[in-house]
Amino acid sequence: MGAMFGNMAAFMTGGSGVNLLWLMVVLPVALAVLAVAIPRHAFAARSACFLAATLADLLLAIALFIAKEGSMLLRWTDFEINLAFRVDPFSGAVLLALGIFAVLVAIYSVAFLRRKEKYGQFYCYYLLTLAMANGAVLADNLVVLLFFWEGLMVTLFGMLLIGDRQKPATAVKALVLNGIADLLLMLGVAATAAHAGTFMMEGISQLPIEGLGVLGFVCMMAGAVGKAGAMPFHSWIPDAADAAPLPFMAILPAAFEKILGIYLLVRITFQFYQMVPGSVMSIVVMAIGAITIVLANSMALIQKDIKRLLSYSTISQVGYMILGIGTALPVGIIGGLFHLINHVMYKCCLFLTAGSVEKQTGSTDMRYISGLGKLMPVTTVCFLTAALSISGVPPFSGFFSKELVFDAALESGMIFYIAAVLGAFLTAASFLKLGHAAYFGPLRLPEGVKTEDVKEVPGAMLLPMGILALGCLIFGVFNALPLSVIQPIAGEGYDFSGWPDNWTLVAISCAVLLLAVGNHLFGYRRTGEGLKAADHIRYAPALRTVYDCAEKRYFDPYDIIMQLIKGFAWICYGIDRAINWVYDVFAVDFVSGLSSRLRLMNNGSVGRYMAWSFLGVGFIVLLCLFLV
Amino acid sequence: MEGQGLLLACIFTPLAGAFLLPIFGRIHVGLRNIMSLLFVLTAFLCSAMLLSPALSQGPVSVYWQLPLGLSIGFLADALAVFMAATSSLVASIIVFYSFGYIERYKNQNEYYLMVTLFLGAMMGLVFSTNLICIYMFWEISAICCWRLIGFYREEPVVRRANKAFMVTVGGALLMLVGFIGIYGETGTFDLLQMQGQTVANWVMVLILFGILSKSATLPLHTWLPDAGVAPSPVTSLLHAAVLVKIGVYVFARLFLVNFQLEAIWETVVPWIAAVSALVSAGAALVENDIKRIIAYSTISQLAFILLGLSTGTMIGAAGGLLYILMHSLAKGGLFLCAGIVEHSVHTKDIRQMGGLAKRLPVTAVSFLFCAFSVMGIPPFGGFFAKFMVIDSALVGGTPLLAGTYIFGAALTVVYLLRVFVKVFLGDATHTDVKEGTWEMVGSVAILGVLSLLGGIFINLPTQLTSFIVENLGRW
Repeated sequence: MGAMFGNMAAFMTGGSGVNLLWLMVVLPVALAVLAVAIPRHAFAARSACFLAATLADLLLAIALFIAKEGSMLLRWTDFEINLAFRVDPFSGAVLLALGIFAVLVAIYSVAFLRRKEKYGQFYCYYLLTLAMANGAVLADNLVVLLFFWEGLMVTLFGMLLIGDRQKPATAVKALVLNGIADLLLMLGVAATAAHAGTFMMEGISQLPIEGLGVLGFVCMMAGAVGKAGAMPFHSWIPDAADAAPLPFMAILPAAFEKILGIYLLVRITFQFYQMVPGSVMSIVVMAIGAITIVLANSMALIQKDIKRLLSYSTISQVGYMILGIGTALPVGIIGGLFHLINHVMYKCCLFLTAGSVEKQTGSTDMRYISGLGKLMPVTTVCFLTAALSISGVPPFSGFFSKELVFDAALESGMIFYIAAVLGAFLTAASFLKLGHAAYFGPLRLPEGVKTEDVKEVPGAMLLPMGILALGCLIFGVFNALPLSVIQPIAGEGYDFSGWPDNWTLVAISCAVLLLAVGNHLFGYRRTGEGLKAADHIRYAPALRTVYDCAEKRYFDPYDIIMQLIKGFAWICYGIDRAINWVYDVFAVDFVSGLSSRLRLMNNGSVGRYMAWSFLGVGFIVLLCLFLV
Repeated sequence: MEGQGLLLACIFTPLAGAFLLPIFGRIHVGLRNIMSLLFVLTAFLCSAMLLSPALSQGPVSVYWQLPLGLSIGFLADALAVFMAATSSLVASIIVFYSFGYIERYKNQNEYYLMVTLFLGAMMGLVFSTNLICIYMFWEISAICCWRLIGFYREEPVVRRANKAFMVTVGGALLMLVGFIGIYGETGTFDLLQMQGQTVANWVMVLILFGILSKSATLPLHTWLPDAGVAPSPVTSLLHAAVLVKIGVYVFARLFLVNFQLEAIWETVVPWIAAVSALVSAGAALVENDIKRIIAYSTISQLAFILLGLSTGTMIGAAGGLLYILMHSLAKGGLFLCAGIVEHSVHTKDIRQMGGLAKRLPVTAVSFLFCAFSVMGIPPFGGFFAKFMVIDSALVGGTPLLAGTYIFGAALTVVYLLRVFVKVFLGDATHTDVKEGTWEMVGSVAILGVLSLLGGIFINLPTQLTSFIVENLGRW
């Protein structure tokens, strides 16, 4: 087996004279086209093609992961804008992660989308997304990176339109927010290239953040965190939870976009630019992370819909990664990347459990569903495992990565540590509420759904969930396994595997978890309902108004941006109309007014004509005299 | 010698053939239509065949000396061939589309005459090496555009046709004074004899009046949205293939190939264009008439082209030329789609449309493809052009300018998305609509697919643009 992959690796990276890195992009695209070309009613054939594509991609990714290096170059245009691909250990690991999650969610999707309309479109967009993501990771040229990165917008737009063409608002929102982030990235790429004097990523290393570099760094960072879904580019994600088919949430906002965003952030901060711990830029990045953690978690706490709660929680978790990387300390970078991989596992798993609930009950609104634990035991176990991991309970994976981020945050500033701990409290409280309301407590189902119809989901859906849940445990207990891949990215000689060194921090974290449990019990006693266990925070005197405003979307950055743009547009329109007035009214009036005056002079009176003639002659004579 | 024949055929087939079309129309309508397409296609094929000599053996030229030191000269260098091929390709598709669109209206003979003559004038202008010839073809195009905008003959329509005519001719007359100024300095109208010189600033201002009025740049732009009253294939022709591209082409011809642009203009022109880009993008966001929105979008995109051509950088020049191609394909497609929509719902107000994607699937997808290309989203062709143009602002050392254009690009995303969503998505407002004729749907599909292929096979057009800028001998 190993030998086979070894051979494949050599083959793919040019060891045997043929370079097939481009297969990572071309193969999914080709199979996407094939999947759509197969007739609509042949569900099995289409699905087989779809699964084969993701599996093939995974095999290729494994081969590249083993090979660890390889490159190819295809001439595109002059000015160094060429199709350049390169694999290094970091991008190899990222490709592998993309491949694994793509396969798992694909298996789930096939079972989930059975007997649903437009599943073919979903397959097609899914594979195209995979191709673009692979391309973005493989890119060794900034323009190629931008090409694939921005290309993801097209498939994102398409996937969001699958849900309901009548209500395109979410798709528009996603495209506008992503579009702005990507255009900033475009500016950043151009500035970085001008700063470095080359588009080739291989040749850009440790630029100082000054002059054009500031623009390049800030704009590229905006593009990266925008893709990852950090604030203020986040607000389409909760809306998408309502609009798009569920596997979309599991694969894009929860998995691919996080992986890509954080991948690029690491490349920017530690390869292209030289971000120093304690520098202004480092503080800016950490602040984005910290604000995202606190605000998004606060919003997650008050959600009543499982998918919306998970979406906000997704946004908040990216905050931890950004905070960790923003510290620019090795422990923070490793913690951030480790948290990324853990996050993708547990959040994917959580979304998939939400999908199972939706598939069986037709809803994810916790006001109508409750107590599913007995009806769907395996789903519940998977949920619990993932929830323990995200809440940071030892020995699950989330605990270890969060401890690393805490460690780095404390070293960089107390305020960041407090934000991170507050976030941990809110996360735990949110998931206590979600678990309690949806899986425990008295059984309640939406109207028209019979108890005997609600049973465990089919094996094809359980398998990915089970694997991911198991992963949450394994990556916690045997955390040396993922860390051995991650640590070399930050440099030589780091080892953070095993139990955390700082016992004080562990004690604080555990205390915070206990506090969250106490808080939940308090809320539960007060209201008697799991769903309302956070109501004492929601309706707390000072927070009440803020939450009211947030629920009315007064803080939605998209709405604010659109209002500003609309205002700007009206000003422009006014300018345009004013210029048009000059042509359509002023010029016409001026010419007609002038000509009517001139007409008055030519009224047929001989005396007046004589006077004009004399004046004219006089003028000519004067002119001649003057000239002579 | 063979090249010279091609060059003359390329110019004079549409130019002379146009006048035969009314006669063909008397004989048979179908014959006239086919002949019109044939003349335009001939121009395309000839210019395509001129590509290889222009790239390998150097430019093909024709030259006649006239009395009084005047001359007529045509030169098929890579830049001219590139522009001619782009224009005539899009024009061919538009003529093909017209078969379906125009068949229900009066004055068809004149329509085909003017469209073909229009392209002929464009071909003549593109290949001319003499300022007076350029001016003459410039004015022929103005006359054609005047007749075509006023095609429906109603009073308000005619008034707008007059406006377009007067603004562009006014600009052209100022430009002519500028040309005479050049003659005063150099003693010739022949461009080939004055390469590498600089022009006086007052001459530059006069010429800019001509270029900016033709290429509809603020504050000489308002005739272009008003020209939306013309039939859709005509607006498509004006925006994509011929009229507004004349301005930027002449800019490229004069200030990339021939004259040295003084440093001050490398700042002034991009900033004029930047203001134009923002104001028109804002206006596009407020307008509700589908054709006016797309017209404002043209004004905005022309600014990007001007930016690329005027920053004085190699990547900008190549990007600007690439932008001309990609914008022609995509904008042509957008207008033709708008024509199909207009024919099926009998209104141009996007507030009264919705949910048309279900009934007009091909049009919707083509519109989206073209819109993505104009927005500059990969893998569509517009992406590379937009990136190169923006990059040129940074290479030229003006990050503020680049930021302004990025803002313009963001507005582009918003307003084009608004049109697409309002027209094609949402609740269906019309139930009895059906797709246009097969010629119309086929045309928009071709343009949509070309916009996509232009991005995927970007290496083909950039070979040409790179060749052009590398042979300018400036960098």
